[in-house]
Amino acid sequence: MRSALAVLEEVVAAGPGVTAKEISTALGLPPATTYRLLNLLVGEEYLVRLPDLRGFALGRRAARLALPAVTTLPTAARGVLEHLRGMVRWGVHLASFDNDRLRIVDPDPDHPPGDADLLARYPQASALGRLLLSEQPDWRALVRELRTFTPHTVTAPDELTARLAEVTRDGLARQCGELRVDRGCLAVAVRAPADGRLVAGLALSGPAHRIADPDPELVEQLREHARRLEPLLA
Amino acid sequence: MRHPPSLRDRSPVHGLERRRLGVLDVFAQSVSGAAPSAAMAATPVIVAASAGGATIWSFAVATVLALLVAACIGRFTRRMAAPGGLYSLTAQGLGPGAAFACGMASLLGYGLLCAAAVAGAATYLTVLLGGGRWVTVAAALLIGIVVAGLALRGVRVAARVVLLVETVAITVLVVVFALLLAGGSLPGTGETTAAPVPGPAGIAAGVLPAVAAFIGFEIATSLGAEARRPFRTVPRAVGATAAVAGVLYLFAAHTQVVGFAATPGGLAGQSEPVLVLAGARGWSWIPTVLDLGLSMSFFACAAATANALARVLFSLARDGVAPQALGRTHARFRTPHVAVSVSVPVAVGVFAVPVALGVPAWSVLVALLTLATSGFLVAYLLVCVAAPVFLRRIGELTWPAVATTAVIAPALIAVLVAFVSGTPRAATVLGATALASLGWYGWLRLRRRDTLDAIGVYDETVADDVHGRAA
Repeated sequence: MRSALAVLEEVVAAGPGVTAKEISTALGLPPATTYRLLNLLVGEEYLVRLPDLRGFALGRRAARLALPAVTTLPTAARGVLEHLRGMVRWGVHLASFDNDRLRIVDPDPDHPPGDADLLARYPQASALGRLLLSEQPDWRALVRELRTFTPHTVTAPDELTARLAEVTRDGLARQCGELRVDRGCLAVAVRAPADGRLVAGLALSGPAHRIADPDPELVEQLREHARRLEPLLA
Repeated sequence: MRHPPSLRDRSPVHGLERRRLGVLDVFAQSVSGAAPSAAMAATPVIVAASAGGATIWSFAVATVLALLVAACIGRFTRRMAAPGGLYSLTAQGLGPGAAFACGMASLLGYGLLCAAAVAGAATYLTVLLGGGRWVTVAAALLIGIVVAGLALRGVRVAARVVLLVETVAITVLVVVFALLLAGGSLPGTGETTAAPVPGPAGIAAGVLPAVAAFIGFEIATSLGAEARRPFRTVPRAVGATAAVAGVLYLFAAHTQVVGFAATPGGLAGQSEPVLVLAGARGWSWIPTVLDLGLSMSFFACAAATANALARVLFSLARDGVAPQALGRTHARFRTPHVAVSVSVPVAVGVFAVPVALGVPAWSVLVALLTLATSGFLVAYLLVCVAAPVFLRRIGELTWPAVATTAVIAPALIAVLVAFVSGTPRAATVLGATALASLGWYGWLRLRRRDTLDAIGVYDETVADDVHGRAA
């Protein structure tokens, strides 16, 4: 266990491309042990082998070991959120997706969102989380447990896959009464203008029955404000 | 600052459904490839013909050999995921020439095993339904259509069906054999005529058919790109299949040896031992259940090998060796649909045409299995020799890797030589394939030198997989 963490640390310290021999020498571990640990960490996808098959680098999964950095929102972005909050009577929340982790960076002070840890831990049950999951090659990589919160919560893997396909198709994520029976949420992606990478999600939360059949004008306003945020957040 | 090798934005085997298959699906693919149910019924009597009283030992030796081959393959599959299977692995150790040879041997092996599995399923279905050769041909066509449909529809659906069918088949066989074993020996003629124990030479001769019972156990390798956590799942699936098949064979062999322990000549003196054992107890339902189980097992084997065969072709096409069209994938189902629709009809034809022309279905089935085995043996030999060379190249060589190859390579050479010299037909086909491959290789070397040097495409790590390098 300790050696496995040391190997992980050595890959971070040495940078991408470090070889098994180099790691073994640096740590003073027997080669056979080092190779075994490396294969274990590659099997679990904390590490990846680079295309020459000799060098190692941190895998995507290793990102989940890192704590999210505290970010402050640019004033201009705050202004966009305030503008939207002035236009609608719903809660307006902004979330970041650094390191594949959902974090509410600007919750609506008048309509506080649910427990932040809960949202981060069960991304499949929130509209913002579904934006994140629909970007993944396989959502299972980020979902631990399909927990039931209300009778409406999606808990069947196939149904979740279908919902996430809808998110990709419509560019709009939603959940109706899946975290709390009376509340629902709509969310759209905020993408980097240069490469289309998902950087944040903008969400509206309101009564569940209104989410089920959202006002197209409202959705258009949401999309418009997300577009305005794009150059400010990327 | 070191300069790591440049990363691609998408995998060279893009188009397949990357990282989706669960552990059980991958395992089922490998078990079906080996089709242990069919071999449980058919192989012990063939082994007994050479090994006599040492039948169990021949199976034990064959199991050890299969586990060693699995270990060699595991050295690669813990480090890389390749839909092309054994030839892509060989390329990493022995270079383009050996990889090409391994590719041709795999095509021969998978292609003929797929044909043999269609043949087996159709033959047992004919026995079940009754009817002549036209029923067999029709059954083969129908099975071919279902197998191709599954392989086209998506790897997850195919894997689930294979898992279900193979589980039922193995359960049926295990129950039948357990019943037979519980029945004890058949009453003999009074004198104790224990079969002669033939010594090491007999055991060795018995290993030959016993090894043939394992072929196809490494088929999960070709699902590397599509498995979730492939570096953990694939080596485990291949190793576990070798172990499970070994246990099933030992159990089946023991049942049949015990059953005929008091009969003059023992198991070796029988031609249809399972039916005789069942008949002696008056269980007339057993042949029907057995035929059903065997035809299901062969069907699962056909579906599993069709998946693997299509992926080898797909991979060779992506390498620029086979025609480019074979490397295309279906946009929605994420399967190599062109390779499937070319390879499955050929496999069905290899069986259906001779049968339609009047050759007995049973002899076609036996010939196909024999020829497939020779292809597999060549491919296993190359990948086992490649393993330590590969590890040395990437600087991760350990002594167990060298020791494994030092044991398994001579053993495989011995098995291959014995096999080819024992079956002239296999020698002819292997020789013809080698000649054709040599011609193809020569042409590629003249015309597409660069393509050939880069042979052995696999599912490389792409920018998106690396932390902090997402595009």
